[in-house]
Amino acid sequence: MLKLIQSEFLKLRRRKFVWLTFSAALIMPFFALLYFHYLGRTGVDPIQFYKWSAFGYTVWIILPVVLGILCAMLMREENQYEVTTQLWIVPVSKMGYFFSKFFVILIYSVCFMMINAIASVMFSVISGCVVFEWGSVLFLLEKCLEMGILTAFTLLPILAIAASQKGYILPACITLVYAFSGFFIMSVNMYLHPLSSMAVIIMRNKEIPGLVFTQEINIFFAFLCIIIWDLISILFAGMALRRKK
Amino acid sequence: MNNINIAETNQNSKKSRITKAANYDSVIKTKQLTKKYGDQRVVNSVNLHVKKGRIYGLLGRNGAGKTTIMKMILGLTPITSGQVDVFGQNIKGHEKSIYPHIGAIIETPGFYPNLTGTENLEIFAKLRELNSPNAVKNALEVVGLPYKDKKLFSKYSLGMKQRLGIANAILHNPELLILDEPTNGLDPIGIAEMRDFIKNLSVLHEKTILISSHILSEISLLADDIGILHRGVLLEESSMSELERKNSKYILMQVSDVQKAALILAKQFNIKNYALKDNHTLHIYDTALDVGEINKALVTQNITVFSSGLCEDTLEDYFKKITGGKGIA
Repeated sequence: MLKLIQSEFLKLRRRKFVWLTFSAALIMPFFALLYFHYLGRTGVDPIQFYKWSAFGYTVWIILPVVLGILCAMLMREENQYEVTTQLWIVPVSKMGYFFSKFFVILIYSVCFMMINAIASVMFSVISGCVVFEWGSVLFLLEKCLEMGILTAFTLLPILAIAASQKGYILPACITLVYAFSGFFIMSVNMYLHPLSSMAVIIMRNKEIPGLVFTQEINIFFAFLCIIIWDLISILFAGMALRRKK
Repeated sequence: MNNINIAETNQNSKKSRITKAANYDSVIKTKQLTKKYGDQRVVNSVNLHVKKGRIYGLLGRNGAGKTTIMKMILGLTPITSGQVDVFGQNIKGHEKSIYPHIGAIIETPGFYPNLTGTENLEIFAKLRELNSPNAVKNALEVVGLPYKDKKLFSKYSLGMKQRLGIANAILHNPELLILDEPTNGLDPIGIAEMRDFIKNLSVLHEKTILISSHILSEISLLADDIGILHRGVLLEESSMSELERKNSKYILMQVSDVQKAALILAKQFNIKNYALKDNHTLHIYDTALDVGEINKALVTQNITVFSSGLCEDTLEDYFKKITGGKGIA
């Protein structure tokens, strides 16, 4: 398995697009900077700034969409160039192959959120909006790490769909629907969609102000939702890869 | 292609275990192998026998089912019915123990376009858990590709891609090679080099090789055994030497008037076993006759003899005969 993961990273050499997608981690910190700078605010509560730069659209929309596109890309190239045929002859286990891709997604997701955290701190402190303090920075890093890990797990259904497809258009479209539906379903039932369940886990201590939950916070249900979706995804990916030669 | 110097790998001990443990007469043996797509049978009850240390040429026209058979052997496409035994074991359920002993190229080999040839092979070496640091270098040397070259796979010519595919197939020093049209895209020199290389693998390294091609000359120069596949049916399976014995010999005569020549032959030499091929060509199947005497008899009867001599059917003739159609190359 370790060899598979290592080889997954070797495959990413000279893939400029993958590195470019990291720049998406800077979008919301930049808009947060513009927003607070426009208001001319100084001495803003760091959590307020981070709510804009990291806990908002970055984690609900930008990261899932970027990860979804990455899932599609990782699966599509090997199919397109028929490298999978060579891999199956090695032989590479199909589930090992799937999990090695997931590991790339997981590492990418954590790195993305870490870049976002660093950018959030830099943009907020350098612009003078926020006064630097270790407590808030550590809180941000902890939450970003949590979000990075959990988002990767919530994207397993997209990775499974990408594994079953030869192209990337359908997985990319489904990613968009998946990301936005998570956002909207949250107001109906927080434990139906992995992304809204992830929100419950992250906001479990209600440390981020201004967020209203329609249901009682139940960590067990939130994890259960993610686990069920992930198990179904793994089963589906297993079947799809076994069918796909 | 350079001299063969494939690195010994940590898999060799495992390899000897599989070959010694299993008691088999054919490295690949298929039993009633059948593949259906819907109602169409693309491979029909094929019984293939690839013997150890020999080159088996699978010959057939495009669409005859060669690649499908190879894919079924490698588990790349499901088998509708029948069985594939490799190294004496049913491939189904033993993929993990059997595949590491096989090197294969199926159709055009695919690699990562953003990586160099060396980087691509390094990935496969890692996945195959090859410990030898020179495995990649040696495999590239064998096929005549540079080691640590900066050229990306996306910039490779078709011939270079094919060579890299071969390098990947031999990287782990497998006992069995399955090569699906390996000379596709190679120039004439490259084809000759590849032929020598494959021959060397069989002769010097006792590799068993299953090679498919639609090029008759390629198979006739390379194979020890041959299987002729036509519309999914294995029409013939025999050794090349047996095939040569089976091939009919005849006296070929090219004359100005074939009808008149036939009458003279029947009258003077009592020849009945002959065939008129066209207005000027005649095949006499009684090869014990003296060609000089026949020439003399025809010339004295004012028939011009353009050429005459003893001939033998080629593989193409044989292929045409048993498939009942046209030649393929």
